[in-house]
Amino acid sequence: MTTEVTNVIVEVLPRFEGYVYPNEGTAHPLWGFLIVLYPYITGLVAGAFIMASLVRVFKVKALEPVYRLSLLTALAFLLCATLPLLFHLGHPERCFEIMMTPHLTSPMAIFGFVYAWYLMAVLLLELWFDYRQDLVQWSKTATGFKGIVYRLFTVGVTDESAKAVELDMKMGRILSVVGIPSAFLLHGYVGFIFGSIKANPWWGNSIMPVIFILSAIVSGIALCVFNYMVLTWIRRHTVDMRCLDTMAMFLFYALVVDAAIEGLDWIHRVYAAEEGFSVMQTMIREKLFYTLNLGQATIGTLLPLLMLGSLQLLRKRVPELGRRRMIFASAAMVLIGVLAMRWNVVIGGQLFSKSLRGVMGYKLEFAGVEGWLMGAVLLSLPFIILTVLVKLFLSERLPSSEHTPQGGPAA
Amino acid sequence: MRRFKLPPQILRLVLLTLGIVGTYFVARAVLTPPSFGKYGWYRGAALEELAARTPVYAGKQACDECHSEILHKLAADAHKTLSCEACHGVSREHGENPDILPVKLTGSHCIRCHEANVSRPAWFKQIVVRDHYSGKCVECHVPHQPNQTP
Amino acid sequence: MKTPYNRRSALATLGGALAGVLTLTVARPLKAAVQKVFVSSGAPRGYDPSKHKWLMCIDTNKCIGCGLCVEACKKENGVPEGPYYRTWVERYIIPKPKPGDGQTRGETLVDCPNGGMHGFPEPPMPKSQIEHSFFVPKMCNLCEHSPCVQVCPVGATFDAPDGAVLIDPTYCIGCGFCIQACPYGCRFLNPVTKTAEKCTLCYHRITRGLKPACVEICPTQARIFGDLKNLVPDDPIQKFYEQNRVQVLKPHLGTEPRVLYAGLDKEVR
Repeated sequence: MTTEVTNVIVEVLPRFEGYVYPNEGTAHPLWGFLIVLYPYITGLVAGAFIMASLVRVFKVKALEPVYRLSLLTALAFLLCATLPLLFHLGHPERCFEIMMTPHLTSPMAIFGFVYAWYLMAVLLLELWFDYRQDLVQWSKTATGFKGIVYRLFTVGVTDESAKAVELDMKMGRILSVVGIPSAFLLHGYVGFIFGSIKANPWWGNSIMPVIFILSAIVSGIALCVFNYMVLTWIRRHTVDMRCLDTMAMFLFYALVVDAAIEGLDWIHRVYAAEEGFSVMQTMIREKLFYTLNLGQATIGTLLPLLMLGSLQLLRKRVPELGRRRMIFASAAMVLIGVLAMRWNVVIGGQLFSKSLRGVMGYKLEFAGVEGWLMGAVLLSLPFIILTVLVKLFLSERLPSSEHTPQGGPAA
Repeated sequence: MRRFKLPPQILRLVLLTLGIVGTYFVARAVLTPPSFGKYGWYRGAALEELAARTPVYAGKQACDECHSEILHKLAADAHKTLSCEACHGVSREHGENPDILPVKLTGSHCIRCHEANVSRPAWFKQIVVRDHYSGKCVECHVPHQPNQTP
Repeated sequence: MKTPYNRRSALATLGGALAGVLTLTVARPLKAAVQKVFVSSGAPRGYDPSKHKWLMCIDTNKCIGCGLCVEACKKENGVPEGPYYRTWVERYIIPKPKPGDGQTRGETLVDCPNGGMHGFPEPPMPKSQIEHSFFVPKMCNLCEHSPCVQVCPVGATFDAPDGAVLIDPTYCIGCGFCIQACPYGCRFLNPVTKTAEKCTLCYHRITRGLKPACVEICPTQARIFGDLKNLVPDDPIQKFYEQNRVQVLKPHLGTEPRVLYAGLDKEVR
C-alpha cells in the first residue's frame, strides 16, 4: 500500500498479501516490540535464577564464583520486567485492576501474583538470606548512602551467631528449591498466554510454554556468561576457567534440548501441514526471513551449537584465550537468537491472519512507544541497575563472609 | 518446658509478610467497584452504562407516527423490507423536530443496491446502469412503490 | 504468673483500640468516596437482562453487499474512521476451474475493501469465469464459550445474561488479549479510547425495544434479529432456524458460536 508521508490521523496500511480480516489491517500489530521484550526479560530472569540454583540445589561447586552475580542479574532484570507491560497497556493507570479483580480463567491474571511472589518471596528472600551475615558486617563499617542501604536491608536483625547463619543457609537452600518451579511459573505462564490462544495456529499449541521455558534457560545462562566475562574484564581479573567451562557446558546442553524441542515443533508443523500451512510458509519465506533463518536458527542456534559443541569435544586442545573468545561469542549470539525467537513468535503470530488466507508485513519504527529506541532503552535499563547492584553488593573492597560462595570474580 | 522462640530473622519476615498481605486485602476491599460480581466477574453497572447511550438512528417504527400512509404503500410493494433511514439517512433529529429535513434521495443512492454485480444473488433486481438509462431513476420509478410508474 | 499491667502497656492497648475505631469510622466514608467514582448513571428503566436472550442470524443468500450495515454501525456507535469494524461484509469469488485441470473450482478470492462500507467494485474477472460469488456479513459470533471472555485478565469483557458479549470501557486496561483470542477477528483496539471494542448488538437500542442499526438498515433482511426468550408469532428468527440448514464459523475451535449462517460455502473462514 502507500508509504508516503501521511498525517497522524490516517493510518498507513501495511503491505499484505492474500486476505486479512479488516480489523487486522492496522498499521502495526497490536502486540509490538514491547511485548517481544517482556518474555525476553522474564526469560532472562528465570534462566539466571536456574543458573544460580545449579549451585545451591544441584551442588555444582564449579559455578560458585557466579552465584551471587546470577542472583543480582535476575533481580536487576526482574525489577524492569513490568515496564514493557505498563508502557504497552492502553490504560496503565488501571493496572492495579489485575490484582484487585483477577479473572482466574485468564493466564494473564496470574501476572501480578506470580511477579510479587517471585520478587519478594523467592528472589529477594534468597538474596537476603545469602547476604544477611555480610549485610550485618557491612552495615557496621560502611558510611553514607551505602551504609543506609546496608542497614535498611538488615531489617533490624543483627544476629550473627552460628545458629542464625546455619538457619540462613538452610532457608537459602529451601528457597532455591522453591524457586525453580516459581521461575518456571514466572516465565511459563507467558508461554501459556500464547499457547492458550486457539484462534491463532502460530501460537496455540501445548509445546509453546515448553519452548519458552527452555529458551529462557538458555538465554539466562548465556546472560550470566556474558555478565561474568564483562565484569571480569572491567575489573581486570582473570577468568575462573573452571567456572566458565562449566557454564559453557550447561549452556551447550540446554541449547541442545531447546533446539530439539523447537525443531520438533517445526517438524510437526511441516508434517501435519494443517490448514494455513502454505500461508505460514509464505510468512517465513518473506516476512520472517531474516529474523527466523538468520537470527534465530543460524546465529541463535546453529553457530553456538557448533562452537560450544566443538569445545565440549576438544576442550583440552583449545587454548584458554580461544575458549574464552568462543564462549563469549556463543553467549552473545544466543542472546541475539533468543530475542529473535521472541520476535518471531510474537510478531509472526500477528502477521499471520486468522482468516488463514493472508499475511501482513511489519517494519519496526525507530521512535514511538513501540519503536526500537524504546526497546533499546528498556534493555539497557537492567544493566544500569545491575551496575548499581554490583557496586553495592559485589564490591571488592568489602570482605564477604567465609561460609558463602565467593561473591564474584576473585583476584 | 523450653519456650519456643522464633529466630529473629523469621519473626521479622513473618511480620513483613503479614503487613504486605494485609495491605493487599485492604486495598482490594477499597478498590473493587461496588457492583462488581453482581451478575458475574464484571462490573454489573456496566450493563446500565452501555444501555444508557443515546441511539442515533430513529428506526422505522418512529416514522410511522407521522408518515403511516407512506409506510402502508411501502409495505404493499417490493421495497417493504427497507427501513426509511436506509435511503433517507439518520432521521432522529427530524423525528424530534420536523422542521429539520432528512437527507433526500439522489439517483446514485439507488445504484448502491441495484447496480448489477455478479456477487449479488440472482433473485435480486439489478441493472447495468450504463445500458439502462442515462437520466434520473425517479423519472420512471416511484421509490416507495418500485413496481408502479409515476 | 501474673501479667504485669503497667501504665505503658495499658496506654498502648487503649491507643490501639482507639486507632482501630478511628480507622473504621474513617474507612467507610473513604471507601464510599473512592467508589463513587465507579457509580453509574441511569439507563432504560425496567429492563431485566435475565428475561431476554438476543440472537442475530445471517442469511447470505439475501445479502447484496451494499455495505449499508457497515456504515450504519459506524454511525450508530461512533466507531473511528480507519480499519476498525464492529461488523463488515466479505465477498467470496470462486472462479471456474481451468479447463483440463480436473478440479471443481479455481482459486478462491476474498476481499473486503474498507469493510465493504462503500459497496464492492467490479470483480477482477468477467462473469463467465465465475462459478460462485456471494457476500458474507461478519460480526461478533456471540459464542457460548467465548474465548475472549475467558482470557480477559480483569473482568472487563463478559457474557451478559441476555446473550450479548460486552466490554466495560471504563474497566478495560487495553492489554489486547481478548483481541488476540477472538478467532473471528471481530474485536479491535479503539485508537481513541485505547480500550478493546466490538459489536455490542447495539445494546443501547435493543434494551429500548429497537433493533440493532445493521438489522434496521439492511434492505433485504439478510440480518435477522430476535429474542429467543420472547418469540412472537411468525417470528423471523424462529422461521430462519426452523426452515434453514444452518452453519457456524470455525466450529472446530469449540467456541460454540450462536450466530447462525445460512448459505455458507466450504471456502468461508
